[in-house]
Amino acid sequence: MRITLDRACAVRDHWSLTASGTFDEGVHLVSGHTGSGKSTLALMMAGLFSLSGGSIGKGEITSCMLSLQFPELQVTGRTLEEECASWGAPAEEILGATGLVGRKDSSPLSLSRGELKRLHLASVFSRDYDLLLLDEPFSSLDCGEKSKLCTAIEQRSGITVIFTHEQEILPRVFRIWEIADGKLTDCGRPPDAYERWHHVPPAVKRLAALGSLPGNISTRDIREAACRIPG
Amino acid sequence: MQDPRIRIAAAAILSVSAFFSVHGAILALLWWLVFTPHVHLAKKIRLVVPLLFMTAFFSLVLEIFSGNGLSYFIRMTVIILIGMWLFWEQKPQEFLATSVWLLGDRAGFNLGLVAEMGMQSLSCIRADVGRIRVANRIKGLQWGVRGLIPGGVILVHGAFARAEDSAEVLAIRGYRSGGTLCPEFLTRPQDLVAGFFAVCVMFFALVPVSEFFILYR
Repeated sequence: MRITLDRACAVRDHWSLTASGTFDEGVHLVSGHTGSGKSTLALMMAGLFSLSGGSIGKGEITSCMLSLQFPELQVTGRTLEEECASWGAPAEEILGATGLVGRKDSSPLSLSRGELKRLHLASVFSRDYDLLLLDEPFSSLDCGEKSKLCTAIEQRSGITVIFTHEQEILPRVFRIWEIADGKLTDCGRPPDAYERWHHVPPAVKRLAALGSLPGNISTRDIREAACRIPG
Repeated sequence: MQDPRIRIAAAAILSVSAFFSVHGAILALLWWLVFTPHVHLAKKIRLVVPLLFMTAFFSLVLEIFSGNGLSYFIRMTVIILIGMWLFWEQKPQEFLATSVWLLGDRAGFNLGLVAEMGMQSLSCIRADVGRIRVANRIKGLQWGVRGLIPGGVILVHGAFARAEDSAEVLAIRGYRSGGTLCPEFLTRPQDLVAGFFAVCVMFFALVPVSEFFILYR
């Protein structure tokens, strides 16, 4: 199972993005500045953006889901129960997991952005997709919820691609990618990727400077690396 | 057209001319064809198609019940085209600058600020419509009548939330009323020519043509 981008190109007014690379099974992190084209690449990979050139091949991928950055724009149900059903997710289970028990008849738009994001992510993660694209999944979540999301991402099979500029709480990833100057670059696998990666999290940078390089970018790996520092 | 004062005045004049009579609408359409990048506009603003369909529907209803449907369709279509051109050419702060130039630092500033916020809101709604369409496709829903109601609710909810945020930001910054601004405008000779012809369109639309030829009867 893999998704292959062969000089896939997107053009918008005076801006363009070209992407090449192969995303195998596992968790991939795509980072880049705001406006660099992360969301556009997510749309391209989901087949929701017409390519101006190149191609995207999805070998053996039968199901794909894209989670957008703004959960309120994906609301189609009048109630939380209907909203869960619109994702094909069991309402009772989802509401229980997200701390919204007893609110099944409430409007999704009455929830705060954080609550709605939790409900949205729980609905998305309730089904197994071969390819899961997560556009800024950590936005609007507190530290506890970010950690829970990292666990859910790590436990998933298939291909998971995270498009984010989150710098603190991240899951263990298989490969790191970066978008800069309209081009997608494969930085490689951690820890070797840190040398080529411009968006290295500050904690990783500090540990590297102290001579204790974390094996990966998750909180667990960073903590382990910190514990290795003598004194 | 570079000068927003001439652009806004031309759009107002042409809209009034088009609204008043069919021959005014035809003259305004000719002006639109000569002085705007019409083909480029039609390609860029896809929203014009559903608007024209909506106008056609109401025109048909009007034609059936009162018989003025065709006239209504022609006049409204031209007004939509002019509005589309004005919206497309408008740049941020132009309404504010024009309003302050026209009405001063107090009433002008307030009015311009409201217009700027309205324009900003329209841009946000346009972006949100695109995102909602993508979201519906992700869920396997067709973009149609069924998707209109939840989509509309989200847009209205979003517009209210943004309005509240803007009000809070203005209050935090100590805004009460009015403000200072020194507007600068760039006027090209082509702008003056287009403005002159817009006035001509209004003149011919509002003054009955027969008045010119009465002496020859």
